[in-house]
Amino acid sequence: MILWNRILVGIDDSEPSLSALRYLAGVLGGSNTSKVRLLAVYTPPDPDSHPDEAARADLSAERRLVLETRLAQAYLLLVEARLARENLSTDLVEADGRPVGQVIMEYQAAGGYGTVVVGRRRLSKAEEFLFGSVSNSVVHRATDCCVWVVA
Amino acid sequence: MPSSGMDLKLQAEELLGSKLDRVRVVTDTTQFMDLSRGDVLDLQDRRYLVTGVAYEGRFGLDEEPKHWVKRALDFSDGSQKLIKLVFFEEFDLPIGGLKVRCFRSPRKEARILELVRGRPQFMQGISFLDQAGNEVRVLDRIPGLSLDKNLDALKLTHPAYFEGHLRANLQKFLGCLEAIAFLHQRGERHGDIRRDHIYIHSQNRSWIWIDFDYNFDFKESPFGLDLFGLGNVLCYVLGRGIPTLHQLKQERPEVLDRLDTGDLSLVIPNRVFNLKKVYPYLPEEINRVLMHFAASTPVYYERVEEIIDDLRAGMAQLPGPAKEERP
Repeated sequence: MILWNRILVGIDDSEPSLSALRYLAGVLGGSNTSKVRLLAVYTPPDPDSHPDEAARADLSAERRLVLETRLAQAYLLLVEARLARENLSTDLVEADGRPVGQVIMEYQAAGGYGTVVVGRRRLSKAEEFLFGSVSNSVVHRATDCCVWVVA
Repeated sequence: MPSSGMDLKLQAEELLGSKLDRVRVVTDTTQFMDLSRGDVLDLQDRRYLVTGVAYEGRFGLDEEPKHWVKRALDFSDGSQKLIKLVFFEEFDLPIGGLKVRCFRSPRKEARILELVRGRPQFMQGISFLDQAGNEVRVLDRIPGLSLDKNLDALKLTHPAYFEGHLRANLQKFLGCLEAIAFLHQRGERHGDIRRDHIYIHSQNRSWIWIDFDYNFDFKESPFGLDLFGLGNVLCYVLGRGIPTLHQLKQERPEVLDRLDTGDLSLVIPNRVFNLKKVYPYLPEEINRVLMHFAASTPVYYERVEEIIDDLRAGMAQLPGPAKEERP
């Protein structure tokens, strides 16, 4: 069952992701009516591009660490905004070859999150065409939920 | 049975049709710079005589040797091969004003060669692991020239090209699009789609994709770069070249008055993609496909199949049937 007050926040190492979180903290600050899950999606290095196993393992660990650190920062930011710890949780999942937007929305559907919050990088049209955009992907895939895109 | 040194030298000379100072059997290709004419690559019991190094055929880089690619002859039947040796490189590829991190991946190319075996729209070859575990790719040489060299050699005005050749060429390009769709459906991408990465076979005139070893780390839009490349090649085929602002200023300044920034390529803004403003007889339906790659587009193509459907629908508006490109 989808519940509006179950909120899923996409977290990555970008500044827009933090902006989205600050916005959420401002909206929810002091409230105890919502449960917030902070989700980071880890994309392992592609063995085609990084064939050396040891170097790949290093890069992989580095990427995980960046996301774990960011998740911890995000959690603290919400605690400082007076959200109850029992309403906050974090998760780090592996993309497993899927685009990040897809992972977020599959997680949303599986967990019954009624609200999804993501930041939006200021990509040019050309960048969006070539590289894709997580926030666009989230919006395009959304059904039965509300998406907040914080630009 | 392995040949003795002298037998092998004689065999190699017979294969080559000329004398060699020496032959040397090589089973580890790691030091590819050291491999040269007269070396015999022994790869899992298949032998190839190196006859020289391959050269870049790419605009601006013509005649630069590609030391990791050797020209060779197959000992078993004398056929010409290109042998790609393992050369890892990682660099920023400039695309328009952007930089894209690019990786050369022998493993990806070997996997795609396996996937496309027997499919005439792709270069054919096999891969071997040499004694040091390097992924060596042995490619059949395609007799012919790249698409751009074929089209450049057509000494025709655009109206004559449009009337006599475009329909047949677009038909061939549709085959190329279907080939890329085949890759994408299997989770693979070409990685370096350019007009000089389609070869036209000199005998059967088939259009053949080459070179699959580039890779990128984009997961959100895994086929974005391939789609961008397809847009460029489509523009090239439709216009028999992609008009640039500079070129129009020199040759057809009156066209510039009709253009605005939305008519230019979304990614490389000195290229004119609204070809209907340059060649007004181009059917609207065909031009509309191209406009998905222009700066004014509100929507991008996300799948090759969408381009195929739209192009097919527009083909009926083209004059034909007619000849394909042939210099």
